[in-house]
Amino acid sequence: MKNTENFSQEHHKFLRARKRKSILIQCLRIGLLILLLGIWELSAACGWSDPFLTSSPSRIAKTIGSLYTEGTLFYHIGVTLAETLTGFFIAVLFGTAAALLLWWSDTLRSVLEPYIVVLNALPKIALGPLIIIWCGTGSKAIVFMTILVCIIVVIMHMLNAFIMTDQNKILLLRSMGAGKLQLLTRLVIPSSLASFISMLKVTVGMSWIGSIMGEYIVSKAGLGYLIVYGGQVFRLDLVMGATCILCSLAAIMYFCVVLLEKLLVKNTQT
Amino acid sequence: MNEILTFDHVSYIYHTKRDEIEALNDLSFSVREGEFVAVIGPSGCGKSTLLSLAAGLLTPSAGSVNCSGSVGYMLQRDELFPWLTIEKNIYLPLTIKHIKTKEIYERARARAVKYGLGEFLASYPFQLSGGMRQRAALIRTLASDPDVLLLDEPFSALDYQTRLNVTEDVAAILRKEKKTALLITHDISETISLADRVLVLTARPARVAHAHELMFDGVVNPLKRREMSAFSGWFEILWKELNA
Ligand SMILES: Nc1ncnc2c1ncn2[C@@H]1O[C@H](COP(=O)(O)OP(=O)(O)OP(=O)(O)O)[C@@H](O)[C@H]1O
Ligand SMILES: [Mg+2]
Repeated sequence: MKNTENFSQEHHKFLRARKRKSILIQCLRIGLLILLLGIWELSAACGWSDPFLTSSPSRIAKTIGSLYTEGTLFYHIGVTLAETLTGFFIAVLFGTAAALLLWWSDTLRSVLEPYIVVLNALPKIALGPLIIIWCGTGSKAIVFMTILVCIIVVIMHMLNAFIMTDQNKILLLRSMGAGKLQLLTRLVIPSSLASFISMLKVTVGMSWIGSIMGEYIVSKAGLGYLIVYGGQVFRLDLVMGATCILCSLAAIMYFCVVLLEKLLVKNTQT
Repeated sequence: MNEILTFDHVSYIYHTKRDEIEALNDLSFSVREGEFVAVIGPSGCGKSTLLSLAAGLLTPSAGSVNCSGSVGYMLQRDELFPWLTIEKNIYLPLTIKHIKTKEIYERARARAVKYGLGEFLASYPFQLSGGMRQRAALIRTLASDPDVLLLDEPFSALDYQTRLNVTEDVAAILRKEKKTALLITHDISETISLADRVLVLTARPARVAHAHELMFDGVVNPLKRREMSAFSGWFEILWKELNA
């Protein structure tokens, strides 16, 4: 960073204008949210729409509030969060390990390629009944579903990153006498860091798809359960409330990855 | 002087699914210790293949390649690792070869300081200009003290001004360190300003078409050579041979 005192007048002006612009954007974002919520609330209050079908912000808040006083709010959040995070971490860990293995062995990669393609194309929900039979109707089934949804994406994303490693840099390291292991640790893994982060971002979304899908099929608790249950008993406040909580959780998880990115990818702007 | 690198009737064929591509055919030459040899040839004739063979990264399809020393490879782009500092980049060959001796690291570091990278040791490659990055790449190549330097168009990615300067620097560094070098290039004037000897290759599959000793009355400085009267004579000769 340069000393700010050294900047010229024009640069100060430029910085001020930039800052003003970014504050404006923030205000507009929040304003838009308030506007949408306002219209929603108003249309329910004035009877333009049927709050029984479309719910309303105040009813959603009330529902979440009552879940909280019943003491079940954090229980449901905890269940879903635990399932999602478990599935997410297992998928990232094993998926990346599998991608490393496939990078290492060309033969293995060629053999498994069609399997990966088919598994990727398969809608995982089709495996629902099988998962219930194999894993029972508890959290295990849901974690399994989450892993299933995520792991192929992780493998394909990371394998692609590993394979795309700069050929010239490989040549250079090999001319220095590097073996395959050194290629991996000195070059392939560090140069795939950016792809690893982007893979995490994609996988965050996938893991929520997996866990909620799992909870739709089998569950006795969790946000997905609340959504299904609310739908069955026609309590759309509950459906909307759970969905809102889901949105915030997914957003928080995404920003954790962004934070990680800021920590890890400091010096690699090229 | 003794020969440090010999190509003896070397052929190399790339096998692909569709085709076999004969890159080198019956290529013979040798490089003596301390000599600066340039190889020029039409684009795609097999020059990079020749270097890969010299570095032992490829095995000849026929004939034999003999190199009695260690090699250092320098490529067209600097290929510095963006996630390592310049200092760590320079130590890379030492890390790869598991060299632990402190003096060797000290020497690499001292070389960086000597050739003007001292204040950038803690910087990352993106903070350096193209010319400085290429200089860093050379110092990295020299870190493990290779006997033969293999240079694959190391200046061609630089703009003209930087290129003249870096060529000058590199020539000075290599002469000072008394290194043997095999330089590959497209650039005729670069060849004439740098080399002791030139090999002109034919189009693919490459063979040695002509070889010349470049006599400049002992002048090795590239810019001085460019000003000498023999320069344009050599340019014409090599130009004709390259386009024959
Ligand atoms: N891995 C490979 N597989 C198949 N063919 C290859 C491979 N590498 C190079 N070739 C072919 O071999 C020939 C020689 O390639 P090489 O890279 O050695 O040429 P070059 O003289 O260095 O070219 P340039 O002047 O463009 O750098 C080219 O025709 C190229 O298409
Ligand atoms: Mg080449």
